[in-house]
Amino acid sequence: MAQTNKNLGNNNFAAAEELPKAKSRVKEFVKKFCKRKTAVISLIFIIFIILMAIIAPFIVPYAPDQPDYMSLLQGPSSTHIWGTDEFGQDVFSRLMVGSRLSLSCALIATIVGTIGGVILGLIAGFYGGFIDSLIMRCCDVLFAFPDILLAIAVVAIIGPGMVNVMIAVAVFTVPSFARIIRSATISVKGSLYVEVARSLGCKNSRILFVHVFPGTIQSMIVNFTMRIGTAILAASSLSFLGFGANVTEPDWGAMLSTGRNYLNTAPHMVLFPGILIFLTVLAFNLLGDGLRDTLDPKMN
Amino acid sequence: MKNRKKLLAALLAGAMTLSMGATAFAAEAEDGYAVKATNTEATSPDNDLVIAIEGSVSSMDPANIPDTNAISATRGCYEMLVYFDENQEMQGQLAETWEVSDDSLTYTFHLREGVKFHDGTDFNAEAVKANYERVIDPENNLRQRRNFIETADDGTETPRVESVECPDDYTVIFKLTKAWSPFINRLTQFCIISPAALEEYGNDIMNHPVGTGPFICTEWEEGDHTSFEKNEDYWGEPASVDTVTIREVPEAGSRTAMLQTGEADMVYPMPADQIQAIEGNDDINVMTADSNIMRYVTLNMNLEPLSDVRVRQAMNYAIDKEAYIQVMYAGNGTIASSVVPHIIPGYKEQEAYTYDLDKAKELMEEAGYADGFSLTLWGDNSTQEIKGMTFIQQQLAQINIEVEVLPMEPATVSDKIYVEPEEAEVNMWYVNWSASDFTMDGSLRSLLYSTMAPPTSANTAYFNNEEFDSLLDEGLATADPDKQAEIYGQAQTIAWEECPWLFLASDQLLYSTKSYLSGAYVAPDGAISFANAVLAQ
Repeated sequence: MAQTNKNLGNNNFAAAEELPKAKSRVKEFVKKFCKRKTAVISLIFIIFIILMAIIAPFIVPYAPDQPDYMSLLQGPSSTHIWGTDEFGQDVFSRLMVGSRLSLSCALIATIVGTIGGVILGLIAGFYGGFIDSLIMRCCDVLFAFPDILLAIAVVAIIGPGMVNVMIAVAVFTVPSFARIIRSATISVKGSLYVEVARSLGCKNSRILFVHVFPGTIQSMIVNFTMRIGTAILAASSLSFLGFGANVTEPDWGAMLSTGRNYLNTAPHMVLFPGILIFLTVLAFNLLGDGLRDTLDPKMN
Repeated sequence: MKNRKKLLAALLAGAMTLSMGATAFAAEAEDGYAVKATNTEATSPDNDLVIAIEGSVSSMDPANIPDTNAISATRGCYEMLVYFDENQEMQGQLAETWEVSDDSLTYTFHLREGVKFHDGTDFNAEAVKANYERVIDPENNLRQRRNFIETADDGTETPRVESVECPDDYTVIFKLTKAWSPFINRLTQFCIISPAALEEYGNDIMNHPVGTGPFICTEWEEGDHTSFEKNEDYWGEPASVDTVTIREVPEAGSRTAMLQTGEADMVYPMPADQIQAIEGNDDINVMTADSNIMRYVTLNMNLEPLSDVRVRQAMNYAIDKEAYIQVMYAGNGTIASSVVPHIIPGYKEQEAYTYDLDKAKELMEEAGYADGFSLTLWGDNSTQEIKGMTFIQQQLAQINIEVEVLPMEPATVSDKIYVEPEEAEVNMWYVNWSASDFTMDGSLRSLLYSTMAPPTSANTAYFNNEEFDSLLDEGLATADPDKQAEIYGQAQTIAWEECPWLFLASDQLLYSTKSYLSGAYVAPDGAISFANAVLAQ
């Protein structure tokens, strides 16, 4: 992680040397991105959810774990805008506070998976040969399992719990990054400036992280955004199945799971967590689409 | 026909039934409609009874019964010498009459004549003896064996029955080695299997049930359904319905839907929160009745803060039992007022730990734990159990006790509970118990007797009170009901004041039927009786 940051720093430095061009590219990107309305709306929604995750505990009308046994399973009303759950807890407050848990789980898992995948992809693409085969065949094995099945398998081995769910989601995030970054690496590796760096006597590690890696960032960002959506869904699914958050925590997936038992009497208990998960995942995917359309050189 | 058998087994065995909470419920059909059908003229489109249950019929061998659903199913085709009727009164079934000698050592049964097993074999005294010998044979390893064996602390076994004699074809005499008051209750779980079939199939009898009951088992597919057809040659009044099918439907919503569409005629258990869903139907009755299920949380008394009786009492005061019943059973339950449910004979009402936070905090302060402490709470991972555990967590948080709720697979819980005392990790266990033999001993011994701590049995409070132990022993050796009541009353008071548990409630059984079904009901321990079912045509 530290190393990556350092290299990112170097990259900024390198970019600063070509100041005019870098500036115009950012401007160009913003301009293009703003044309994609769905992506912009998604971004606004995501910013809202993230903001909510940060400030929700201070602004929600009820404490998320404050039971009210006099108003169990009540539908939406002016006192509880999204109704109450089986303990009379306010569904709106729980969902808003729960966004912290669900988002941070998905984000951390995706970041960890991305780092792993990027490093493996860079190494495989850059060195080629036996190392490449070894890494990519391992990734192929992981690919052979459907994402959620792989995550369940991981959780089954290391046990349930929020941290373990993050590990599981990170594990299935790795191969897709490794594959994408590897192909990006292979194409960047042949570029003239890499040849130049090599002929100047740069060490492999410098070429890899300072020259090749920045060339793969675009694909990484796009895939990263997309994977967050998948990760939210996976983490919620695992919590839904009882592998994730502790049952007493206000996690979106866990709330959906509990609400399922009251589907025919208190449908608001599944409706609101369901809508929130749906919209959040959709927003991340649309944002990813928008970013890809904007960033992908092939699309330009 | 009701239920007790499981109980028996479970009682002594201890452990398993404990966490099978859902299995035990109770009911008397007369009183208690949670919802009463307005359309009482409805008729059934067929004469085939379909019952949808939550769990699984896991055995059809009546001597090897793991849970209440198996009791429900085996009672379709098997009968006992004596049974508890709908009002929980003991009646003769295959025995017409019986006598107990003054010293409580000799039980003489006069058997019903002219009864035939489904395979045509005659029912007689030799058949009873053959069944007893099968059960008691350690080679067969049947759960019911524990009902007739006394196990000492060092593991040595003594049979409780000295001899079984058959002076003539229709008289059986059981002689006990020493007075043992629950004996006749245990016989309500003792089903008589055809000796000819036993000879032919041995312990594979579970796949070929042959009894004397009003129905003949035609198919038993565990995990899906069990089917019966009417026994035309039944010795009593033949069954009214042509066939009975017990379907296993774990999802509460699906069970409710089956009842609404008429696919099922009876559904048990009916979750309290589903009642609302069927209120639009005018031909469905939802019945409620008292159960003998005790719901409680054991407190490991060997553990530092829980070893202080003031802490345990404070915890009991901190729990709003009324809210518990409301949250868990939509109001269909009774607050625990002793260590046993009120329908157990010998129950004695104790002074309630009324919800009182001030008092609870005061006691915590007195004990030096005003700032609280942390505990874990174990339990099964079913929806209902998790809900109950979460409730306990919320309540104890009020007196600064931080509870970590840890739901686990039932098998995992058992593995973690039944360990040597020095390895015990249990803090609190959210659990329930139903004594199918309806005796005080069955309700208390496995749970609170000092030598019944794990791994032997389910005393997970590690409750160890000499006075309590000797009262239980005394109770067992006494046949006089008044004296027994007094002894058990004292025992209950001791346990109640010592608070080895958080005393919660006895929930009420909830089951629903189409209004055209009558005569089928659920007994207080959750066993379904359908022998006298009638579908209005």
